[in-house]
Amino acid sequence: MEHLNYIMEITPYILEGAVFSIQIYVVTMLFAIPLGMLCALGKLVHFKPLRWLLEAYTWVFRGTPLLLQLFFVYYGLPFVPVIGVEFSREMAAFVTFILNYGAYFTEIFRAGIQSIDKGQYEAAKALGMSYPRTMCSIIIPQAIKVIVPPLGNEAVTLIKDTALCSVIAIPEMLKNAKAVVARDAAVSGYIIAAVAYLAMTFVIINIFKYIEKRLSYYDK
Amino acid sequence: MEEIIRIQQLYKSFGTLEVLKGIDLSVNKGEILTIIGPSGSGKSTLLRCMNHLEKADRGSISIDGQYIGKAEGKDGKTVYRSNKEILTICRRLGMVFQNFNLFPHKSVIENLIEAPVKVKKMEKEEALLIARELLKKVGLLDKEKAYPNQLSGGQKQRVAIARALAMQPEIMLFDEPTSALDPELIGEVLQVIKQLAEEHMTMVIVTHEMNFARDISDRVIFMEKGEIVTQGSPEEILINPRLPRLQTFLNKVV
Repeated sequence: MEHLNYIMEITPYILEGAVFSIQIYVVTMLFAIPLGMLCALGKLVHFKPLRWLLEAYTWVFRGTPLLLQLFFVYYGLPFVPVIGVEFSREMAAFVTFILNYGAYFTEIFRAGIQSIDKGQYEAAKALGMSYPRTMCSIIIPQAIKVIVPPLGNEAVTLIKDTALCSVIAIPEMLKNAKAVVARDAAVSGYIIAAVAYLAMTFVIINIFKYIEKRLSYYDK
Repeated sequence: MEEIIRIQQLYKSFGTLEVLKGIDLSVNKGEILTIIGPSGSGKSTLLRCMNHLEKADRGSISIDGQYIGKAEGKDGKTVYRSNKEILTICRRLGMVFQNFNLFPHKSVIENLIEAPVKVKKMEKEEALLIARELLKKVGLLDKEKAYPNQLSGGQKQRVAIARALAMQPEIMLFDEPTSALDPELIGEVLQVIKQLAEEHMTMVIVTHEMNFARDISDRVIFMEKGEIVTQGSPEEILINPRLPRLQTFLNKVV
């Protein structure tokens, strides 16, 4: 009974952290998906400088740890000449996560778009469709079906990656759980956080399952 | 006879492989032209140059007097019009592919109305009317809500023909329309093409179906190694071929 009381006491504090986790999750998804789509389309354009730029972008953000990127944007960026900006903790987290996940989404979307058969472009062109029209009506709608499973995978990773925000002292869930564990020298805090992460991933997995099901009305 | 497609001195290479070596060809309005020849002879490439799915290196292509690509300079390099202008000119040509290339995420009727509504800016109601008319013509009116993967190969190809016709083209290009089909499904597709022939649609057909070519063509072209070797009536080319190369080819395919 005493134990139950203890759990009731610490849970609200830990879950307060979840609010930020969910916040950064939603913001990242909202901005990184369009960013990834635009960059993926940019990578398919024949204009070489743009492709190199995007290649560099995805390389840097996929090639270095997210943790390092967080440190750099929050602690390092203010000292960089010319582009130096100082973000609030939350803003630094938003910017880093959007750019990082945007890079992964770029590659997922590019691969998805490129998996669509060349014959689809030819058929569209033979019917008089312009390239933008072909992409919007024919290619991207089919690519989405290919993109959703790997996107779902990233979506699950993202909720767990929000825990990294603790390193720039954002009071997200893991940080709060850690504080409780340190104060009381009891692991219950970690278990509560684990259950909360599991609950969130459960919801995300099922949202993606639903989307996949909705897209299964046709087959290639 | 009024000329509608004109090709002059067309050259095309893929890397070091020269697939078209100076093709001269004109197609008249209402004419049914079939192109035969061994694989790798350049017949599909020639057809695909007509609606800009392939870009020629040298030579000219014009549709009804309008150049889409014109030979310029001493070496006759093809200079193309802007993509937008080419799309507009090539709307007069419909194309049917070997692998159908239906849009798998759209139902049969959506496949048919997509281009009329989005490209021609036709009213949806009108596009639906035309689409149903065409589905009736190819005998698939009951399949309008089906998705392409629910259809047999022959049905897919009939839908693909209807889809091309929905743009109301003046010329139809067929790139081996029955080569991907099981033998028992070939007949239904050829039947639809024959029906178009009876309506005097201008058609250029690349095919390996010699009996069909014999029955339907006004003129047959025999290509080999990127050149037009000979051409003439089906009688001259398919029934009483005189050239030994042509005889060898026909003996192999029939």
